[in-house]
Amino acid sequence: MEKSIRKATIAWLLTAFLVFLVMVTLGITMRLAQGAQVSLSPTTFYAIMTMHGLGMAGALFSGGLAVIWYITSHSCKVSLGVSWAAWGLFVVGAVVLLAATLLGGFGPGWYALYPLPFVRPAWPSWATGASIIALILMGVAWLIFQLDILRALAAKWGAKRLLAWEYIAGKTPEEPLPAQVLIAAMCAIAGTLGTLSGAATLILYLLKWLSPSVELDPLLLKNTMFMFGHTIVNVCIYCGLCAIYYVLPRFTGRPWGVNRVTAIAWNATLMFVLFAYFHHLYMDFAQVKALHIIGQLASYGSALPATAVSIFGIGSQVYKSGVKWSFTPLAFALGAIGWAVGGVGAVVDSTIMVNTYFHNTLWVPGHFHTYFLVGYVLMFMGFLHDFFKSSAERFAVGSLVTMLLGGYGFLLMFYLGGMSGLPRRVSSYAAASFGGLAEKGATLATLGAAFAIVFLLGAIGFGFSVVKGRGAAPEAGASPDPAS
Amino acid sequence: MIVQIAGLITLILSLTIFAVAFFVMRGARERVPDGNKVVYKVRKYYAMVLALVLLGTFSTTLLYTPYKALADTTPAAVVKVTGHMWRWEMEREGAPGPVVVPQGATIEFAVTTSDVTHGFGVYDDDGHILAQTQAMPGYTNRLRMVFDKPGTYHVLCMEFCGIMHQNMVASLTVE
Ligand code: HEM
Ligand SMILES: [Cu+2]
Repeated sequence: MEKSIRKATIAWLLTAFLVFLVMVTLGITMRLAQGAQVSLSPTTFYAIMTMHGLGMAGALFSGGLAVIWYITSHSCKVSLGVSWAAWGLFVVGAVVLLAATLLGGFGPGWYALYPLPFVRPAWPSWATGASIIALILMGVAWLIFQLDILRALAAKWGAKRLLAWEYIAGKTPEEPLPAQVLIAAMCAIAGTLGTLSGAATLILYLLKWLSPSVELDPLLLKNTMFMFGHTIVNVCIYCGLCAIYYVLPRFTGRPWGVNRVTAIAWNATLMFVLFAYFHHLYMDFAQVKALHIIGQLASYGSALPATAVSIFGIGSQVYKSGVKWSFTPLAFALGAIGWAVGGVGAVVDSTIMVNTYFHNTLWVPGHFHTYFLVGYVLMFMGFLHDFFKSSAERFAVGSLVTMLLGGYGFLLMFYLGGMSGLPRRVSSYAAASFGGLAEKGATLATLGAAFAIVFLLGAIGFGFSVVKGRGAAPEAGASPDPAS
Repeated sequence: MIVQIAGLITLILSLTIFAVAFFVMRGARERVPDGNKVVYKVRKYYAMVLALVLLGTFSTTLLYTPYKALADTTPAAVVKVTGHMWRWEMEREGAPGPVVVPQGATIEFAVTTSDVTHGFGVYDDDGHILAQTQAMPGYTNRLRMVFDKPGTYHVLCMEFCGIMHQNMVASLTVE
C-alpha cells in the first residue's frame, strides 16, 4: 500500500515540478520580450502569459495537494483511485490548455476577466471552449482530490475534530490532534470552497461560449473568479506549511503539536483567506464599499496568525535545536522567509490608500512571485528532497544558493518596476513614452530575465541533485550529527 | 511620496526579516533543551506590537481611500471616459475636442467601457502614477482628483484588455 501511495504521489510531484520548469522558461521568455531582447507578437506574448499564470498556479496547487494527500495517507486511508483519477483529469486538462494557449493563441490572462475571452478574441473560438473545458477538468480533479482528503481525515479523526475546535474551547483531548491534520483539513476546506467558486464561474463561461447572447455580470464574475484564484494560490502556501509542520520536527527533534493558539490561528487564517480576495477589487469603485474594507481588514488580519504562529513556530522549532542545516530544513527556513517577505509586499499593497498607486503595476507580480518563487517553491523542494531521500546535499544546497541569487534579483526588478508605476501584463513598455517609463521598463525586464535565467539553472540543478541522490539518504533526516 | 514610503517600509521590513532569520538560524546549530522558550516570550510582545501597528495603520489609511475623496466638493469639470478595444475616448462635458481641464480644481472622471474591462490610470509627465480606477462594462466609476500643476498628463490602460492593451495610451492637458 505504502508503495502504491508513493507511486501516485511521485506522479503528482514530478508533473508539478516539470510543469514548473517549463513555465519558468515561458516566464523568462516574457521578461526577455518585455526587455525587447526577443520579439514576440502580442498574441504570442499574451498566450504565453496566460499559460504561464495558469500553468504555475495549477501545477503548484496540484503539487501542494499531493503533499497534503501524502501526509494524510500516513494516518488515514486515502483513496488511490481518486488520486489517479484526479491526476489523469489534471494531465488531460493541462495538455488541452497547452494546446489551446500555445497553439490556439488563447490569451485573456490567467484570471480571464469576463467578458474578455468572448470579445474580439485574437484566437479561434475552439481555443476558448477548449480552455474553459480544460479548466473545468482541472477543477473537477482538485475537487475530488480535496474531498477525498477531507473524507479520509474525517473517517479517522471525526469531522468535528478536524478544525481543532475542542482546543479553542479549552479542552485537552485524550488523543491529541496532529498539527498536519488541522492544516491539511484547513487547506482542503479552503481549497474546496475556492474551487467551487471557480467551477461556478467556469460553468457560466461555458454557457456564454455555447450561447453568446447570454449576458453575465462582470463585477460579480470578477468576485467569484478571484475568490477562486486568490484562494487556491494562498492554499498552496498552507500546503507548504503543512509539509513543514510535519517534516521539520524530524530534523529538529522537537515535537510540534496543536494547542489553543495554533487552533485559533488556523481557524482565523481560514476565515481571512476566504475574504482577503476583495483586495483585488479595490479599484472597482462600483463594488460595495464595505467589501473593500473587509478586504483590507482580512488582508491585514492574515498577517497576525501567519507570522505569530507559523513563522514563530518555525523559529521555535529550530532555535537552539542543534539542527544540521541540510537541504530540507534550510529550504523550509528560506521558504518561510520568502513567504514573509512576499507577505510584507502583499500587506503594503492591500492598503487601499497604497493600492491606488500599485494596483496592476509590476508591484503585484513582484509580491506574489516572492511568496511563490522564493517561498512556497522552496518549501516544496524541501519536501521533494526529503520525500526522495536525496543524499546529494552539497549539490542541492549549491542549487538553492543559485536560486536565491537569481530569484531575489528577478523579484527586485518587479518591485522597482512597480515603484516606477510600470503597468503589469504588457507585451512591451514602448508606448509609455513619457517620463522615461519605456526605457525603465525595458531595462528592468532585461535584468529580470538575466536573474531569472540564473534561477532556472539553480532549479534544474536541484532537479538533477534529486535524480542523482535519490534513495541514498540515511533514514529519517538527521538527528544532530556529532561529526559536524 | 506614498510610493516611496511604501517601498521603504517594504525594504526595511524585509531586511529586518532577513536579519532576524539569520540570527535565529545561526542560533539553531547549538542544542539547548528548552532553549527556544525565549521565542515564545518574544512572540507575546511581537503579536501585541503587530496588532497595534496593523490596527493603527488600518484606521488611519482608511481615511484616505479614493472612494470618498473630494466627495463634498463640486467638480469644476467632468470628463467622460470610455474605454474601447484599444483606445480611450475622452470628452470634457460641454467642451468637445482634446481634453483640457483647470489646475487646482476638482476634476471628475466618469469612467466606463464599451466592451471589456480596462483600467484608467492617470500619470504625470514624469511617469508617476497619480490615480486610477477600473473601467468595467455596465458600471461607471467616478474618480475625483485635483491636478496641482499645469502641463501634459497621460493615461495608460491598467487592466489587460486584449492584444493591443499595451498601446492604449491617451493624454490630457491641465491649464
Ligand atoms: C523564475 C521564474 C518565473 C519567471 C521568470 C516569471 C515571469 C513572469 C512574467 C514576466 C510575468 C508577466 C508579468 C507582467 O505582468 O508583466 C509573470 C506573470 C505571472 N506569473 Fe510568473 N514567473 C516565474 C515564476 C512564477 C511562479 C513560481 C508562479 C506561481 C504561481 C508564477 C505565476 C504567475 C502568474 C499567476 C502570473 C500572472 C499572469 C497573468 O497576469 O495573467 N510565476 N511571470
Ligand atoms: Cu484597455
